[in-house]
Amino acid sequence: MALPQTNEKLKVIARAPFNVYYEGDAEAVTATNRVGKFDILPAHADFFSILSPGEIIIETSSEPIVFNVSNGIVTVRDNEVMLFVNI
Amino acid sequence: MRRARAVEKDSIQITTVKDLTWVFESLASTQVAKVKNKVQMSTEFFKLLWKRYSSIRIDPKKRITNRDESEQNKKQAFVIITAEAGLSGEIDQHLIETMLKDYDSATTDIVVLGSHGANQLTERKIPYVRFFKVPESENYIDVGPVIDAILPYSKTIVYFEEYVSLGVQEIRSINLITSLKDMSEDVDEDVMTAGNTIFEPSLDEIADEMEVTMMKLALSQTILESSLAQEASRFNAMAIAKKRATEILGGYQLEYHRAKRSENDRRMREVMVSLKEKRKRQGARA
Repeated sequence: MALPQTNEKLKVIARAPFNVYYEGDAEAVTATNRVGKFDILPAHADFFSILSPGEIIIETSSEPIVFNVSNGIVTVRDNEVMLFVNI
Repeated sequence: MRRARAVEKDSIQITTVKDLTWVFESLASTQVAKVKNKVQMSTEFFKLLWKRYSSIRIDPKKRITNRDESEQNKKQAFVIITAEAGLSGEIDQHLIETMLKDYDSATTDIVVLGSHGANQLTERKIPYVRFFKVPESENYIDVGPVIDAILPYSKTIVYFEEYVSLGVQEIRSINLITSLKDMSEDVDEDVMTAGNTIFEPSLDEIADEMEVTMMKLALSQTILESSLAQEASRFNAMAIAKKRATEILGGYQLEYHRAKRSENDRRMREVMVSLKEKRKRQGARA
């Protein structure tokens, strides 16, 4: 996936009730909802959605963080992405 | 007085019991720390999610509470969280007794979590409408089926054992719906509306999904609290057993030393008597 050139970063929090998958800056987040697969990039519009089962990919400056979820909620607000998964 | 050898035999058995209680005490202590950590993480998760949930409705607390007010004519459900097996001492008995003080079969249905509680209710001939095993997992507590069972009720009261401290556990009852108010903190969050936010699939569907999710989390928290209290009870029971075993062992050691000294004294007396007689016999010959 070609990422746009921008200095902005996403602040991502990805958590399950007993697990923290990732907390920190990221360049992009890929997830799946009822509509299909979607990407969240910096400066994304405010967004609130129910996640479908599937893979979450968090593109960080180093290694991408990849994990599977059975359900969840994703919110985007002012470049802050919150993923509440496996609830 | 018992013989030293017999006392020593009993003493070895009590030492084994003491060692076992020490092992169980250590295991319970580890479990307490582990579950406590889970409770902490889950609470943080709940707060973060509540913050987001608050932002999609002006007053999400009112929305959740409305379910309670709008269906007054329906029955209420008592959910009792008990242990899955024995070794829980009298806790479950106390839980059931507390619940029965408020129970009216005409207006209330009982939903029981945990085989131990279900057995106790059956023994007392108290009917329950649903039984679930206590949902437990390292990473995920699936309370979905329990939530499905209690959603039709106007009110859900949960009875469980609460962890106050390692030494103190108390029986508590909460209204699951209104407890959401207590578990959450007021947050100063801007409202996310359809005008400024993309909702997928729709705001209403998300609000409904979130409502059930928050209830699931509230129930999971209660199950975790109960589990923490049960582990703490086990720890206390083992600590008391270890203390008692140590006391008995101390008594046996004292008894052993007395018996040993008594045996030595007896042998010494026998030697002295035989020496005396030998001297007497030698004197007579001379």
